[in-house]
Amino acid sequence: MSLFDSIMAGLALVGNVNAFLSLAIGIVIGVIGGAIPGISATMAVALALPFTFPMQPINGILLLLGVYKGGIFGGSIPAILIKTPGTPASSATILDGHPMAERGEAGRALGMALWASCTADLISNLSLILFAGWLASFALNFGPPEFFALMLFSLTIIAGVSGDSLLRGALSALLGLMLATIGLDLVYGTSRFTFGDPSLMGGLNFIAVLIGLFAIPEVINMVWHPTGHIGKVQSLGNKWVTFAEYKRCFRSIVRGSFIGVFLGSIPGIGAAPAAFLSYSEARRKSPNKANFGKGEIEGVAASEAGNNGVAGATLIPLLALGVPGDVITAIIIGAFMVHGLQPGPMMFVMNVDIIYGLFIGLILSSGILFIVGGLAIRGFRPVADIPKRILMPCVLVLCIYGVFAVNNNIFDVGVMFVMGWVGFVMSRYHIPAAPFLIAFILGPLLEDNFRQAMLMSGGSPEILLRGPITWFFWALTIITVIAISRGTLNKARERG
Amino acid sequence: MSIRTIQVHLGIGACLVALFLILYGIPNWVSSPSNVRKIILSPLFWPYTIAGLTGLVGLGLIVFGRGPDDDDAPVNEAIEDPRAGMIRLAAMALLMVVTFWALPRIGMVWAAMGAFAALAFLVKTRHPKIALTCAVLVPLVLYAFFAHVASVAIPQGNYVRLP
Repeated sequence: MSLFDSIMAGLALVGNVNAFLSLAIGIVIGVIGGAIPGISATMAVALALPFTFPMQPINGILLLLGVYKGGIFGGSIPAILIKTPGTPASSATILDGHPMAERGEAGRALGMALWASCTADLISNLSLILFAGWLASFALNFGPPEFFALMLFSLTIIAGVSGDSLLRGALSALLGLMLATIGLDLVYGTSRFTFGDPSLMGGLNFIAVLIGLFAIPEVINMVWHPTGHIGKVQSLGNKWVTFAEYKRCFRSIVRGSFIGVFLGSIPGIGAAPAAFLSYSEARRKSPNKANFGKGEIEGVAASEAGNNGVAGATLIPLLALGVPGDVITAIIIGAFMVHGLQPGPMMFVMNVDIIYGLFIGLILSSGILFIVGGLAIRGFRPVADIPKRILMPCVLVLCIYGVFAVNNNIFDVGVMFVMGWVGFVMSRYHIPAAPFLIAFILGPLLEDNFRQAMLMSGGSPEILLRGPITWFFWALTIITVIAISRGTLNKARERG
Repeated sequence: MSIRTIQVHLGIGACLVALFLILYGIPNWVSSPSNVRKIILSPLFWPYTIAGLTGLVGLGLIVFGRGPDDDDAPVNEAIEDPRAGMIRLAAMALLMVVTFWALPRIGMVWAAMGAFAALAFLVKTRHPKIALTCAVLVPLVLYAFFAHVASVAIPQGNYVRLP
């Protein structure tokens, strides 16, 4: 079948109202689910899955992909408005989005989040179509040493999100790394800091830690200083993002999109590290780097481009190899199987119409996301106008329900409360929370890949430098560490 | 507190935590099989590495925090009555403990209603009627969504069960 025939076959499959409606409904569900803290894109996709069983395979899969893409964007709405990321992928958006909301520029931040999300989504979808085979075969060469080198490089992001003190950022990251060690050891199955409690054996729930660290300290801060917010504007404001601002941020958006595409095509990394890496790179390259973390619109653009760039790319290993790129695509693979489809190289031969139908649907999804997202921003406007002393109790209750719903586990609610106090103390001592979170996400991956590499080599560290991929990431890490050290020394000299 | 003072306090705290972990925490709370051939393969290796690095960062914070400082300005926003603030924080901690304790006993909906109302009272809301209405409605709406749409088994407690 020629390329033209394949495209026509795909078009015949999705060129109807049902397919279009499935995609649009999926995006609406995703945006709403992502915008409710604690629901997350993963949960929204999981909830929508049973509803796709009676549908045509292409419609069902398009609905789930719509939920996925809508969910990743939707997470940015509460991240900007109430400093509570709707999804883990939106954690980086808080760093500049919420300070903008505090200045009364929430509408501008949300507008940029939408524009960056749609651009990144389009780039990610085009990359999926153009590079699926090539990128998947590259990612297939990654073993534990390559992953370890990549994770180590990713940890240098911490320097970019440490604020004005690298040492306080490092302390925060080490705390995150230490808490990530809680649970059963993955190699030997022995316990680490579990105190004999079965609830701790699986480690601390990521969502509980995330919400505890970002949302609950806001509630505690309100208790400490109930009138502290008075005089601080928190509304959508009259200022909206302009095309000139979009043009100014375009390089960061494209860079972030490709970072998302690259990390998304490697199974297991996910959208949150991509968002932080994109944010860090944008900060490194921006002439306004001093404003990052204080409400810089380019920071919002970069983090949203990073996390949305992942959305299409995670389908690369899924479609080309049958390997899910993250948790959400692992759920989507279930939908393929329920409909008697087996993702992988053979699908490009046996079900080429579905493959091209999905490609066309994904391209359409960027446009639908732009319309639905624009409406959602206006729809969530009342959230910004709720009195803060009513909103904070709402946030507390929402967090309790949301954290419980992830694992149906009350213990997670306790973890969230404890992490809330940790986050509050950290904020009083000016320890940035972002390095903690990045280290908490990357820590287990770093340790597991390091130990697997050591097991492979019988304890010889030479394996960590075994080929061009590891050399590449080690070189990047060394260059970054040198650049960070030089920057810190220059700053110290300037202070005299 | 100035940023230098904070830095020194953090440094001392980090060093103490690192020492505690290395001397007591890791040996007692991390178990490792006795037949591990190399230390880098042991479950103890990573916690010891992190604890050691924490100690080093702590020392760095002390060293950089002890230098001369031109700017001794306090960095945290002062509140009118710090004593009342501390009492409110203690009440918040108590509220969290009580909520956590009450969740499996009286059910998530009733515990959340209580937590909402208590928190609104604690932050001295200027809209008590709206707060009370929301305290009832928000947990109920969330219950309806999670229990009936998302099929999450929301804890119902031992007393009043919702449909």
